[in-house]
Amino acid sequence: MGGLTTSLFIGSQALEAAEGALNATSNNIANANTPGYTREVPQFTEGAENLTDGVVTGGGVSLSSLQSIRDELLNNQIAQQTSAQSSVDTQSSSLQNIQTLFTSNGEDIGSALSTLSSALTQLSASPSSGSAQQAVLSAGQQLAQAFNTTANGLTSAQSAADGQVSETVSQINTLTQQIAQLNSQVGQLTAQGQDGGTVEDQRDQLVQQLSQLTGVQVSQSSNGEDTITTGNGSPLVVGNQSFALQTTTGTNGFQQVIDSSGNNITSQIQGGTLGGAIQIRDTTIPGFLSSLNALATQLGTAFNAAQTGGFDSTGAAGQDFFNVPTTGGAAAGISVALTSPSQIAISSTATGASGSNGNVANLSAALTTAPTAGGSSVENGYSSLVFQVGNAASNASTESSAIGDTLQALTNQQGSESGVSIDEETSNMIKFQTAYEAAARIVSTIQQLDTDTMDMGSSQSF
Amino acid sequence: MRVNPNFVPDIENALNQSQAELNTALEDVATGKSVNQPSDNPIASAALVQNQIETADVDQYTQNVSSASSQVEAASSALSNVVSLLTKAVADGTQGANGTTSASGLQSLVQDVQDVMTSVVSQANATFQGTFLFGGTDTANTPFTPNGSGTGYTYNGNEGQNSVSIGDNQTIQVNMPGDQIFDNSSASVLGALTGLVTALQTAATASQGGGTVSAADTQAISTATSNVNSALNVVSQQQEFYGNVDSQLSSQTTFLQQETVSLTSQQNTLEGVNLAQAATNLTQAETDNSAALAAAAKVMPNSLLNFLSNPT
Repeated sequence: MGGLTTSLFIGSQALEAAEGALNATSNNIANANTPGYTREVPQFTEGAENLTDGVVTGGGVSLSSLQSIRDELLNNQIAQQTSAQSSVDTQSSSLQNIQTLFTSNGEDIGSALSTLSSALTQLSASPSSGSAQQAVLSAGQQLAQAFNTTANGLTSAQSAADGQVSETVSQINTLTQQIAQLNSQVGQLTAQGQDGGTVEDQRDQLVQQLSQLTGVQVSQSSNGEDTITTGNGSPLVVGNQSFALQTTTGTNGFQQVIDSSGNNITSQIQGGTLGGAIQIRDTTIPGFLSSLNALATQLGTAFNAAQTGGFDSTGAAGQDFFNVPTTGGAAAGISVALTSPSQIAISSTATGASGSNGNVANLSAALTTAPTAGGSSVENGYSSLVFQVGNAASNASTESSAIGDTLQALTNQQGSESGVSIDEETSNMIKFQTAYEAAARIVSTIQQLDTDTMDMGSSQSF
Repeated sequence: MRVNPNFVPDIENALNQSQAELNTALEDVATGKSVNQPSDNPIASAALVQNQIETADVDQYTQNVSSASSQVEAASSALSNVVSLLTKAVADGTQGANGTTSASGLQSLVQDVQDVMTSVVSQANATFQGTFLFGGTDTANTPFTPNGSGTGYTYNGNEGQNSVSIGDNQTIQVNMPGDQIFDNSSASVLGALTGLVTALQTAATASQGGGTVSAADTQAISTATSNVNSALNVVSQQQEFYGNVDSQLSSQTTFLQQETVSLTSQQNTLEGVNLAQAATNLTQAETDNSAALAAAAKVMPNSLLNFLSNPT
């Protein structure tokens, strides 16, 4: 049977345990708003029982550890959704910029096509009017400029995305270095049988940041260290070692992403700002640009064919209206070749050409008629390009809000597991306060009993 | 089950969403348009590009119809003048051919028909906004000028015909080369008038100083008069061409007006905002936003701490 000393020992252990638990509670409350913090729950363990004189007595309590409540699977899901959302957000913001190029504002291709079309219609009514001729020439120049502006706008959006690629890669490298350092700390803690705690919180937080930059796959080994690879399996962090990605200028003039083994993994990168920027730069914008170039070439070819089939106001055979470059972008380089309104091939005959309008209908038809080889007219082609751009922008923002909803649900779930509840901590505080007070009472009671025992038989006691 | 104690992100999200809805509703009401950028409605945006082009075209077609119509009316009125001038010449010729007209009478008839001739030529050279009405597509040369021998007129215009666009793939011919009207191979106006002047001149010369007009001379006047009459019929026929064009133009005007209305209504359907709906949406969004704010204000300061007494 244990003596008073045992009870005193149990009481002081209980005091320590309650103190430790109060520490955890106050730390939880202090970090209630710290991003990435996971609440810590004190783990109490019963002390080894004593067998004295055939009687088993309890061995008190000890605070074995503080355990962070986290769910790695949930963290991985959140990382994936974060990558997906960050990718569509990057694309969406670029597309928002791009679509202003296709918004009707008087300077866009649609307005210029409309101006040219009505200038030609006016020319058919007054073929010999200098101002009507000038109007057609100016409208042609406006259209060529609209093509140039739109193409340049697309190209600069592409360069902006390219800039994002190299910036993001350097951010990724900084993060992977930090993660590798934290990994080794977590490994050491795990080796000591301790919970990773705040170090793991920091690492998980960095992994979330990393997943915003690019899609990653995270797996945790038994020693608590994360192994992180890109979506296609190129290593980023293994244990306490990080592997830097590099960028190098590719044959297309854009930054290519090279992994630590020297492989070009640009086209395999998915998700995150990096994936989104690469998608916009290498797929979305080139798609728009090629449609735009095809449209510029179609316009130039059809209009030039109509123009060379007629005769200008001096009776000379019509010359090309537009210069369409065959190398480089047709849309970026298209310009008006004619220098004077009198060069517009208004007439279909060489004799008496000055007042005749026989060729104007052919010029108008170049805008509205589908090419014989198939496809759609310039006007319809532009209108479907507007649809493509608008649809891409609208899809990106719809997708972003859909993923946002999923992400919010996951974050809520994570919060419900790992978040600090002030109410809960307050209750715990009261609980541990009471426990501490009770343990203190035990200690003071035992002390009193000890004194009483000492005083046994002394005259003063009676 | 443990619930997420941190409801701030949820509140922020709810506030964001209601704010975004409020902004959209406000923009709809303020601009009166539901499509402000292509992503708002890609299909409508694509259709609006076509609508914009088509609307501008229809506006221009309407202007073309109106200017073509003025040109045709000017030509038609010139031809009406020519018809009445020729009618006068026929009357003069008929008078000259009755065999009883005095020498001075014949002389004044010659003068009359010469005046008619001058007036007809001036009508044939009439211009509309600086362009010759009867010169084909030639804009540089006066259509009818006296020929070198002084006995008639030469046509300097060409045979060109201009067609004005008045609809998609729809054009209308608005002019007729002057020689088909005034120098038609079946009955030439200018030729017949010249003939009448010559015949009257011959008779007037013969009757001068008490001479007599021969039967052959009278016959010549009569023949020349009937030639003028035939030419008059030709002009009347050609005038019908302009009448036809004019009536086609006015029916096209009606069509274009309907087209404008339907394009405007299409544009409204595509990008317009139903104002009643938009105003309701705005009120709804305002209510949602206030509710979200009120809820946030109510729930955020609450915790167990509010209900615990301070430690004494």
